[in-house]
Amino acid sequence: MNDDTKSKETTLSFEKIKQDVLRPMQNHRGLELWIVFLITVISVGAWAYYVQLRDGLGVTGMRDYVSWGLYIANFVFFVAVSLVGMLISSILGLLKVDWIAPISRIAEIIAVAFVAVAGLVIVLDMGRPDRVLNVMIHGRFQSPILWDVTVITTYLVISALLLILPMIPDLAICKKEIKTAPPMLKKLYAILSFGYTNTPEQHKHLHKMIRTLMVLIVPVGLAIHTVTSWLFAATLRNGWDTTIFGPYFVAGAFVAGSAALIIAMYFFRVNYKLQDYITELHFDKMGKLMVAVCLVYLYFNVNEFLVPGYKMKSGDSVHLKELFFGSWAIMFWSSQLLGNILPIILMVNKRFRMPKPIMIISIFVLASAWFKRYVIVIPTMLHPHLPIQNVPDNYQHYFPSSVEITVTVLSFALALLIITVLAKIFPVVPICEIADQKGIDYKIEE
Amino acid sequence: MKNLSTILATLVLVFAFMNSASAEDWKVSATAKKKLNPYELSKKNISTGKKVYQTNCKSCHGDPTKANMLPLVPAPADLGSQNFLVQSDGEIYHKVKVGKGAMPTFEKTLNDESKWMVIAYLRSFDKNKKKAVVTKAVVNPEVSDVKIELDIDSEHKKLKAHLTGLKKDGKRAGLEGIELSFLIKRAFGQLDISGEEAYTDAKGELLIQFPTDLPGDREGQVDLTIKITDEDEYGVIEEKRVLSIAVPTNPKNPLDERAMWGTRANAPIWIIASYLLGVIGIWSVIFLVLFQVFQLSKMRTKS
Repeated sequence: MNDDTKSKETTLSFEKIKQDVLRPMQNHRGLELWIVFLITVISVGAWAYYVQLRDGLGVTGMRDYVSWGLYIANFVFFVAVSLVGMLISSILGLLKVDWIAPISRIAEIIAVAFVAVAGLVIVLDMGRPDRVLNVMIHGRFQSPILWDVTVITTYLVISALLLILPMIPDLAICKKEIKTAPPMLKKLYAILSFGYTNTPEQHKHLHKMIRTLMVLIVPVGLAIHTVTSWLFAATLRNGWDTTIFGPYFVAGAFVAGSAALIIAMYFFRVNYKLQDYITELHFDKMGKLMVAVCLVYLYFNVNEFLVPGYKMKSGDSVHLKELFFGSWAIMFWSSQLLGNILPIILMVNKRFRMPKPIMIISIFVLASAWFKRYVIVIPTMLHPHLPIQNVPDNYQHYFPSSVEITVTVLSFALALLIITVLAKIFPVVPICEIADQKGIDYKIEE
Repeated sequence: MKNLSTILATLVLVFAFMNSASAEDWKVSATAKKKLNPYELSKKNISTGKKVYQTNCKSCHGDPTKANMLPLVPAPADLGSQNFLVQSDGEIYHKVKVGKGAMPTFEKTLNDESKWMVIAYLRSFDKNKKKAVVTKAVVNPEVSDVKIELDIDSEHKKLKAHLTGLKKDGKRAGLEGIELSFLIKRAFGQLDISGEEAYTDAKGELLIQFPTDLPGDREGQVDLTIKITDEDEYGVIEEKRVLSIAVPTNPKNPLDERAMWGTRANAPIWIIASYLLGVIGIWSVIFLVLFQVFQLSKMRTKS
């Protein structure tokens, strides 16, 4: 793909915005192939999951000591990425940062897809998924697990609302304009547009609700990742037993989420030919935002490793030495360097905040974020307080089995499929909001 | 110079000797060898030592003098053999304490008293020292169907055991001079309340004072086992009883109170309240917004 269409100073009319945004929704080229590919990957993953269901969790690499493996690390990653919805459309939206308008919907789509799959990943990790409702029926209020299930469900619902509500005016346009849509989709547009005709009363009413949700999602968004961190921090294990785990996870989530958003922005800009909307300015601004959140995350990392590293309590020392110089050193240092320190150094230069370089940096940041979660979850499980004794050899190490890896690939394919479908049936750039911002008058007929 | 070379040669020889000694044999220092068993070879001490021996040593070394040790390489020594018992008390003590190769260390597993008791027990097989053991020669008649009967004096918390066996002429006779163990079941093992010299008298009777401060369960009950300490002569003879003479206690179950570690029903009020308030608060706003969304179409008809 190439990004040669330079964004020119074009005068945007409402008609042009409408056409530019709605065109990719009607033009299918290459999309079927991509969806077929994703469905194939998902089918292979589903087969692996069937094997796991049939034979039990013994087919994974997890044993008594490492009982949280790849799945939980992946779950934390998915929750982290989903937090971008709250960062972009809610925090920046409430602060009236106006450049986020064209990318806020992409952020919400990512949030919905990743938090939905995060919930699924937990179920995939269960040996007896048929008992999942027992968490609600018998869950203890004292356990972070009950809180986690609750906040993830709540975050999913609010994110979905924050995706749909600001889209109501656009869907009213879709209902009218997209004539080639299948009847089911037309019906969906008709239902979800709620008879919106952009009367001043409706406009005011709608934005009041959106603002309410924006405020509401801030505590829920903070809670979703703080509670996820408490799943770890509420135990006395080395590496997890720290007081800053909540903000540390939230800061890490902003890094991972921003990186995912930049990658998505780049792909939509190029594939959907949205250079007039997702401009170099947006990448530049996102780059600056990324430097800011990376610095916050770096600050937490320094606290998280320097303070226990200075004291080297006997349990911590085993854990930290394994991370710093031991068998986890490569994964640990590459996630710190490639996912945090180097991106900061590069992205303070304007050159590296151009669309292509920043997209490549973001891929590294996102991959490092994934490995960082792996390094947070597994080494601690391998260093219990009591020595590992009299157990089979495969209890003492952990490496994900092929079934586990395949099921994890499924989760990524599923998230991408959800994003693809949402971006196919909904306009990825808000038409009316941009028109509002540019002061262009428009009418929505019924 | 000549002197120096003699000294050097002597030193070399000494070191060489010490080296070979330590490589093949136990290295026990002279001071350690000189240690003497501070406990006398009383019947009680020997019997205590036997108990310790049977739980800690027998599994490898077998019974003393019987040479029925485990077939290991090198073979565990027969600890009742004269070959072994030529060693001093201190030497045996040192070996039990530090261990070597397959012989584990008992430094932490056995306290000093138990170690010395075992040595007293082993010493009782020593032909040269056997005289030291004061034993009252008691000859009990040949009996079968040995049993222990128990009388409980609840008021004074006294237990009277009566050990009898069936003689060949069909009469029951008391067995004299047999050591009995009175064991109370505790959380992690058994408490021996037999006291010193728990031997039956001429009538086969033994009176034991039950500890007045021993805690029992809510009803003051404890599980008692009385048995013949030495199982060699009559086999395993034991009698089990539930006594209601201990001090009643009222143990507090930490699961009964509201706490973070409690069951769901016993969760602290503040955490239930936070959860419910949070869920109700946030979800009512969500439902309110959902309701408001449906108002949008009404506004269209009005305009």
